[in-house]
Amino acid sequence: MKISLLLFVLVSAAAQSQTSLSGTVTDLKGEPIPGANVSIRGAYDGASSDALGVFRFTTEEAGSHILLVTFVGYTNHEQPVVLDGSNITLTIALREEINQLEAVTISAGSFTAGDEKRRTILKAIDIATTAGATADIAGALNTLPGTTKVGESGRLFVRGGDGNETRTFIDGMVVLDAYGPAAPNTPSRGRFLPFMFKGTSFSTGGYSAEYGQALSSALVLSSKDKAEYNQTDIGFLSVGGDVAHTQVWDKASASGKVQYTNINPYFNFINQRVDWKTAPNSVETSAAFRQETGQNGLLKFYGNFNRSHLAMYNHDIVQPELKSLIDLTNTYGYGNATYSQSLGGTWAVRGGLSYNHNRNQVAIDQVPFDEQENGVHGKVVLENSFSNRVDFRVGGETIIRDYTASTLLAGSSAPVALSFQERISASFVEAEMYASKYFVSKVGLRAEHNSLNGQVGVDPRLSLAFKPGKVGQYSFAYGIFRQSPANKFLRVDPVLNPEKAEHFILNYQVVTPNKTFRVETYYKRYSSLVKYFNNDPSQLRNDGHGYAKGVELFWRDNGTLRNVDYWVSYSYLDTERDYLNFPYAAVPAFASSHNFSLVYKHFVTAIKSQLGFTYSFASGRPYFNPNSSGFNSDRTPTYQDLSANISYLPKNWLIIHFSCTNILGRDNIFGYRYASAPGSDGTYARVPIRQPANHFIFLGVFITISKNKSVNQLPNL
Amino acid sequence: MRTKMILTVLMLISAVAAQANAGYIEAMQKAIDKVYKAETILEIQEAVNVLDRISNAEKGKWEPSYYAAFGYIMMATKEADVATKDKYLDQAKVYADRASAIQPNNDEIITLEGFISTIRVSVDPATRGQQYSGLAMQAFGKALALNPNNPRALGLMAQMQFGTARFFHASTGEACATARKAQAIFAVPPTGTDALAPVWGKGMVEGMVANCK
Repeated sequence: MKISLLLFVLVSAAAQSQTSLSGTVTDLKGEPIPGANVSIRGAYDGASSDALGVFRFTTEEAGSHILLVTFVGYTNHEQPVVLDGSNITLTIALREEINQLEAVTISAGSFTAGDEKRRTILKAIDIATTAGATADIAGALNTLPGTTKVGESGRLFVRGGDGNETRTFIDGMVVLDAYGPAAPNTPSRGRFLPFMFKGTSFSTGGYSAEYGQALSSALVLSSKDKAEYNQTDIGFLSVGGDVAHTQVWDKASASGKVQYTNINPYFNFINQRVDWKTAPNSVETSAAFRQETGQNGLLKFYGNFNRSHLAMYNHDIVQPELKSLIDLTNTYGYGNATYSQSLGGTWAVRGGLSYNHNRNQVAIDQVPFDEQENGVHGKVVLENSFSNRVDFRVGGETIIRDYTASTLLAGSSAPVALSFQERISASFVEAEMYASKYFVSKVGLRAEHNSLNGQVGVDPRLSLAFKPGKVGQYSFAYGIFRQSPANKFLRVDPVLNPEKAEHFILNYQVVTPNKTFRVETYYKRYSSLVKYFNNDPSQLRNDGHGYAKGVELFWRDNGTLRNVDYWVSYSYLDTERDYLNFPYAAVPAFASSHNFSLVYKHFVTAIKSQLGFTYSFASGRPYFNPNSSGFNSDRTPTYQDLSANISYLPKNWLIIHFSCTNILGRDNIFGYRYASAPGSDGTYARVPIRQPANHFIFLGVFITISKNKSVNQLPNL
Repeated sequence: MRTKMILTVLMLISAVAAQANAGYIEAMQKAIDKVYKAETILEIQEAVNVLDRISNAEKGKWEPSYYAAFGYIMMATKEADVATKDKYLDQAKVYADRASAIQPNNDEIITLEGFISTIRVSVDPATRGQQYSGLAMQAFGKALALNPNNPRALGLMAQMQFGTARFFHASTGEACATARKAQAIFAVPPTGTDALAPVWGKGMVEGMVANCK
C-alpha cells in the first residue's frame, strides 16, 4: 500500500498538467527586445523572445513560481506567477540599465584618464608617451586645455590659478608637496610616476565635494590594484638607472623600485645656463603592497622616500662676478594605506590614512634656512549605490599639518623659528542621480572647520549633464572652493582666512570611439586672497580678489589615420587679480592669454617604433618692469617648443627610448630678474629667466624580465 | 520481501534520476550544438538563454555556465560595436566566474578566462594589449600546467604568440610549434566518456598551421 502511494507520487510528478505562457518583451518605450531570456526561476522551462519580442513556452511546473526575464543591458524583471494549467499572457517592459559608456556623464571641468573605459579623453599610456612631457604627469597634462605653460616651474597652472592651487590626491588621500625640489627658475618634476596609476582624473574646476583645499584644480590619481604577474624591470638612463621588481601571490602582490638619478655627467656633456656646483642628484625608493581580503576587500599600501641634493651659484644682475651659493637638500617621505570593502548589499566603505614629510635644508651663502612640513590625513567614506541610478556618499576627514621654518638672522647665533599647526576637519555629502540616461545631476555639500582661525565654512557643489542626442552632451558645474594660504603666508600670520574661488563652468562635448570634441567656457571669481597691507609683506590681509574667464577647445582623433593619434588644445584666458604686492588689479606673471598644444603620435610598424611630436605655444606673459610706468604691463616674447620622442621595440622585453625637447632650439624667455636699485643711468638692469638649456635629451634602455613573454615596460615610459 | 520493496523503490528513484540526467545531457548537447553552429548573435543568444536556464536549475554543474560564457564570447566576436562587445565580455566573465566557483582549477574554464582576455585586447589593442595579453598568457600557462595537452589552451596561446611575432617581425617558429602541438592533440579523437566535454578550437588551429607552411 505504501509502495503504491509512493509510486503514485513519483508517477504523478511526471504527469502534471501543462501551463502555457506567452507574451512580449519590450523596453520602456514599447520597442520589442529580441533574445530576452524568459524563464521560471530554478527550472529548465523557458524561452527566448523572437525578433518581434514575442515568447511562448509551456511548463509542467505547478503552483506559485517566479517568472524571470533577463537581457544584457537591462535590469532583471521578476514577477510571481501561479501555474495552474490555464494560459498566461504577459506584457513585460524591461528597464534599461544606465550604462556608463553610453549614458550622459558629468564632464564639465574634468578630464578622466583610465585604462578600462574606452571613451576617456586621455589614458595612462598617453601620458607616458607624450613627447616633451618626459614621462611627467604634469608635463602631459600641460597639453590639455585649461592649463597655462609656465616653463620655469613644471607645475600645473590652471585657469588663472597659480601652481599651488592644484592639489594632488592618491587614492583619495591628499599629497602635500607633490613636486620634487628644483633650483630657482628651473622646472620641477612630479614625484609620482604615471605607470603607478590605473587612472588619472584631472579636473580644471567644479570637482566633487569629496575634495577640498584646492582653489583651481584637483588631480586625482588612482593607483593600480593587485599585480597579476611577477616581473623585474631594469632601466639604464642617460641620467641614472633604476631597478624594480614585482612579486605576486594568490591574494596579494608587492613591488619595489629603487632609482638613482645624477644629472652631473649629462650636464658636463650638454652646456647649461645654470652655474651648477652640484647638479641635481637623488635616490628614490618606492614600494607598494596590495592585499585582497575577504569578499571584495582590498588593502593598499604605498610608500615613497626620496632624498635629493643640488647646489648652484646665483650671479648678481649688475656685477655677474658676484655670486652667491644656493645649496638645497630635500628629504621627502610619503606613505598611505587605503582600504575598501563592500559591506554587502549596496553599501561599501573606504578609507585611508596618509603621512607626508617634507624637509628643505637650504643654505644661501652658508646662511641656513630649514623648512619642514609634516602632515597626516585620515578619511572615511561610506557609499551606497541604491540602484544604478542613484549613488550616495558621505564622508569625513581630518588633515593635520605641522609646519616649521627656521633661519639664522645676521649677527645672531640663535635660530629664529616660525611655525604653525593646522587641523582641518571636514565632512561632505554627495548624491549623483540619473533621471534617465539623458540627464544626470550631482549635488554635494562640504563643510570644513579650520583650527587656526576657528572658522567653519560650507561649500556647495553642483554638476548637471544633459545628453539630448546619441553623441553630444552639455554639462554645467558650479562650486565654491577654499584653500588655506600658502605656508609662507600662514607662518607669518596663522589666523589668515582661507582663500576662496567660485567656479561656473559650461561644457559641450562629443565623444565617439575614436574622436573627441570638446568646448568649455568658465568664469571663476577669487576672493579673500592674501594681500600685503601698505605693501608690507609682514602685514597680511585677506582683501585680495580677482577673476578668470576663458574659452577652451579640445579635439582628439585616433581613428582617421592609421596608427596615428593626435590631439589639439587651445585655451583662451582672461584673468586679473589684485593680491600680494599688486598696486591694482593686474594680470599675474604666470598667466598667458593664449595657449596651444598639438600632440602627435605615430606607430610605424616597419621600424617597430612609436614616434611622437608635441608642439606648444603660449603667448607672452606679463612681467614687472620697474623701468616702465605700469605694473605687469610688459609682455615676454611668445613661448614655443617642439619636442620629439621615439620608442623602439626591437624585442618584446626591450624598449629603447629617446627624447629631445625644443628641437628647434628656441631661446624661450619666461620673465626677467631686475636689479634691486637703478644703475647710474637711472634704469634698472635685468637678466632674462631662460631655459636651463635649449634642449633636454634623454636616452633610456628598459629591460623586462618576466616568465610572461608578452610583458614589457611600454606602460612605464 | 521488505528488502525487495526497498530495492524497487531505489531502482525507481535512480531511473527517474537517470532519466533526468539524460534529459540534462540532451538539453545541453542541443544548446551546445546551437552555440557551435549559430550564425547570428540572436541565435547564440537563444542558445545562451537555454544554457542560463539549465545553469539555474542545475546549480552543481559547471558546464552550463561554461558554455554560456563561451556563447557570450562568440557573440562578442560577431559584434561590431565596441561598447556592446564589452557588455558581452562582461557577461562571459560573470558565467566563467560562476563555472569556476563550482569547479576551481578546471583547465577548460581557465582557458576560457584567457579567451575572454584575448578578445578584450582586440577591442583596443593599443591601450589594453599590455594588461590583457599578459592576463591571457598567464591563464593559458595556468591551464597548461593543469593539463599540458589541453588543445584549446595551446591553440589560443599559439594565437597570442603569432600576434607577438608579427608585431616584432620575429620568427613564428614558436607559435607554429605550439599550433602544431595543438593540431596533433585535436587529431586524436577524444577517448573520454564525457558527452559535454569542450571540443571547439580545431578550426582555429588548422587555420594557423596552414599559415605556417
